Amino acid sequence: MLALWALMLLFIIYPLGALLLRTVFEDGSFSAAPLLAAVQNPNNLRALRNSLVLALMVGFAGTLVGLVFAFTVERAGLGRRAAKLIDLATFLPLISPPFTTSIAFVFSFGPRGLITYDLLGIGNAKVYGFTSTFAAETFTYFPIAYLALRPMIASIGTSLEEAAFSLGGSRWHIFRTVTLPLILPGLANAFLLLFGCSLADFATPLILSGSDFPVLPTEAYLQITGLFDLKSGAILSLLLLAPAGVVYYAQERLVAGRSYVTVTGKAAASGKLDSVSHAARFGLIALCLFVTVAILYFYALLFCASIVMAFGANHTLTLAHYHVIFTEGLPAIRQTLIIALIGMPLGGLYGIVVGYLVGRTRFTGRRAMELISMLNYALPGTIVGIAYLLAFNDKPFALTGTALIIVACYVFRYSPTGIRTTIALLQQIDRSMEEASTSLGANRFTTFRRVMLPLILPAFFAGLGVVFIRSMTAISATIFLVSIDWTLITVKILENMTEVALGPAAAFSVFVIVVVLAVSGLLNGALRYLTAPNLRVSKIGT
Amino acid sequence: MATQPLGIRLEALSAVFRHERRGDVTAVDKLDLDIRPGELLTLLGASGCGKTTTLRMIAGFQPPSSGRIRFGEQDVTDLPANRRDIGFVFQNYALFPHLSVFENVAYGLRVKGIGHDEIVRRVGEGLEQVGLSGFGERMITELSGGQQQRVALARAIAIRPRVLLFDEPLSNLDAKLRVQMRGEIARLQRELAITTVYVTHDQEEAMAISHRIAIMSEGRIAQIGTAEDLYQRPVSAFVAGFLGGANLVDCTVREVGAGSAVLDVDGLRWSLETPATLSRGQRVRAVVRPEALELARDGDGLACQIESMVYLGARAEYLIRSGERCFQVVVSNPVSNRLFQSGEAVVLRLPGRNVALLAQH
Repeated sequence: MLALWALMLLFIIYPLGALLLRTVFEDGSFSAAPLLAAVQNPNNLRALRNSLVLALMVGFAGTLVGLVFAFTVERAGLGRRAAKLIDLATFLPLISPPFTTSIAFVFSFGPRGLITYDLLGIGNAKVYGFTSTFAAETFTYFPIAYLALRPMIASIGTSLEEAAFSLGGSRWHIFRTVTLPLILPGLANAFLLLFGCSLADFATPLILSGSDFPVLPTEAYLQITGLFDLKSGAILSLLLLAPAGVVYYAQERLVAGRSYVTVTGKAAASGKLDSVSHAARFGLIALCLFVTVAILYFYALLFCASIVMAFGANHTLTLAHYHVIFTEGLPAIRQTLIIALIGMPLGGLYGIVVGYLVGRTRFTGRRAMELISMLNYALPGTIVGIAYLLAFNDKPFALTGTALIIVACYVFRYSPTGIRTTIALLQQIDRSMEEASTSLGANRFTTFRRVMLPLILPAFFAGLGVVFIRSMTAISATIFLVSIDWTLITVKILENMTEVALGPAAAFSVFVIVVVLAVSGLLNGALRYLTAPNLRVSKIGT
Repeated sequence: MATQPLGIRLEALSAVFRHERRGDVTAVDKLDLDIRPGELLTLLGASGCGKTTTLRMIAGFQPPSSGRIRFGEQDVTDLPANRRDIGFVFQNYALFPHLSVFENVAYGLRVKGIGHDEIVRRVGEGLEQVGLSGFGERMITELSGGQQQRVALARAIAIRPRVLLFDEPLSNLDAKLRVQMRGEIARLQRELAITTVYVTHDQEEAMAISHRIAIMSEGRIAQIGTAEDLYQRPVSAFVAGFLGGANLVDCTVREVGAGSAVLDVDGLRWSLETPATLSRGQRVRAVVRPEALELARDGDGLACQIESMVYLGARAEYLIRSGERCFQVVVSNPVSNRLFQSGEAVVLRLPGRNVALLAQH
């Protein structure tokens, strides 16, 4: 317990403290002047405004698309194949490296883009700017809204709608007066999630927003890597803190006010098409298929770009790009995998330990531990990255340039999924489960090992999966932490993009997606094997 | 079972909970209780009467605020639950969903470090005792509610506990299964002769399985005794009303004889055999069970009118009125007697014996 507090202090509180101190202390004395100056700087204000506008738009659009998908999948009576296709299209963006959609956008809508140049014949299409950033982020993040909304719509149960229908309401009227109010908290939650994602997104605007549409995370990055102005970068990242804090607070309130959807209980056997009319059903499915096809097209494009000489110019098939990533790029691949494989078990373990402590035990500071454990997750990666950079650059904790700092960043930033899953699972496990074990003579440790641990194993695996996936795909925080000795695939992709070596960038992306899919599959298989009924001993018994 | 059954003794046992808004709430209030070796004692009461809290204190899940708990000569008050040697059957069964039926029953034996062959033997024996032989390989989720309850029972008795504790074990089952299971629990308990404390709010269940019943109210024991004791000789209006239906008839003692008395009910003379010591002019409250009353078309008795009648085949339940007084009357085999319809005038005959008299304050 003490060790846990020490770790949280070192890797969560201390870096943030260092960041805050750095921005308000000038030569050892307190001064708010740099902060005020930054706030009054018109360039910074523009970046802040752009960030907020972008996040708002992505929040609205992504929630809308997510709602359409969730409603269509749950209520429009899709065929099995169509449902599979949608599953794939909503899963891919969640596990892809951050530049995937951006690369596909450049290939499609750029000056030599497949759609703008080859299809429409526009010579010098302008792909960089607000519109494409907004579209790419919406495509990238709407699955989050979809995943949040779908179980909600499912849990409402068709019986409620049937009841309204039997009272004589029209389908549209029912959707407006029954379904929509019930999922309103869910919609708000989805909006906040997407708002936060877009606000913190660094990769998409870096590639797509161009100079016309600067946003805060990229500006902070350019200040630090371009101008080596650590302090301005830190202050810029702090400007993100206020909106991110508001989002986090609003979400906590939403969760605390727990919506009443779950009360209506299990969904009745669905499959009836009663909740939508034919025309509406057709429209919904068409919209979903359009988005789905667009996403699958992006990924097909990415794959094509990785196996041709130069996409848009020379379409000769080649494995040259893969040759490049497995020779020149090999150190990055090796280092990324090492970091991910070290971080994965640590993150999984940290997740269930903190989850168990917070969810099942009582001690002073329990609530504080829960809040602190969520901090690095709730904050935009840019803030966390710069904070780590500031905190671990010098003694007493000079970790810059090591693998440890990257691993620590991932573990403390992405384990909260495991923590939340553990807490949620524990809430479903009645206390009598532990009492039963105790009454049968087991002590606390045995009870944890033989009863609780097997029951929260799914949370452990969820934690493993998320930490691994993020270790392979994240960039916003760790871009500040890489060094000559330890770099990451995602950083390599960025380098390739800036050198306009799009082929290797695409090949790297494909590689990451394949590895992530394989590891996710392995984890799922392992979980299924471990939770399968243990029949070996019982066979002897009967 | 080689070991002798143990008695359980609760001495001035209290449980006080700190409540955020209501301040301290006393769930169990200085409870004294002797549970005899090998008996099945039921704690019976409405929800919130403290029966489950008492059980959880005996199990060791809940530390008492004050008072002692003894198993035989041993003071177990400060002993953690896992060292009290108890078997606990939960309301929600609390079976381990990740383990098979066999492993659930074997759990306590494995914890004790018992050898493999012995475990196989004793789990087999336990499953046989609850009629689930051959179910060892099944997963818990593949069982019906009744079967799950049997597994929970087998798991509790497999460790051969000194004390068996049941917390409303049948409340999640349907009515028919409940009757069947309570019979099996009673049979198994008599067979194993393990001292047992059983908590329920169902009076019929309590009467069917218990050696003795303790009726609880507001954290105290209102009365303890056999089912017959409690039904025939309730010591308070609360107990009389809790166990079965009761007509509470206020009356005055007119004459006192040896082992008998004459009471006055609205001017009617009511001769009664009673062991109670009474004095002339005393106000008493008679507890008259609905099935002890008789209805007649005419003759001696209290003139009444039928307010309502419910015909239930094997019996008919009447609500009748005489002035300010209301009576519940249950007539068994009603057709061979005669069915009265509401509005009819009848004569109510009061029983000459088996009436408990409560002093009136």
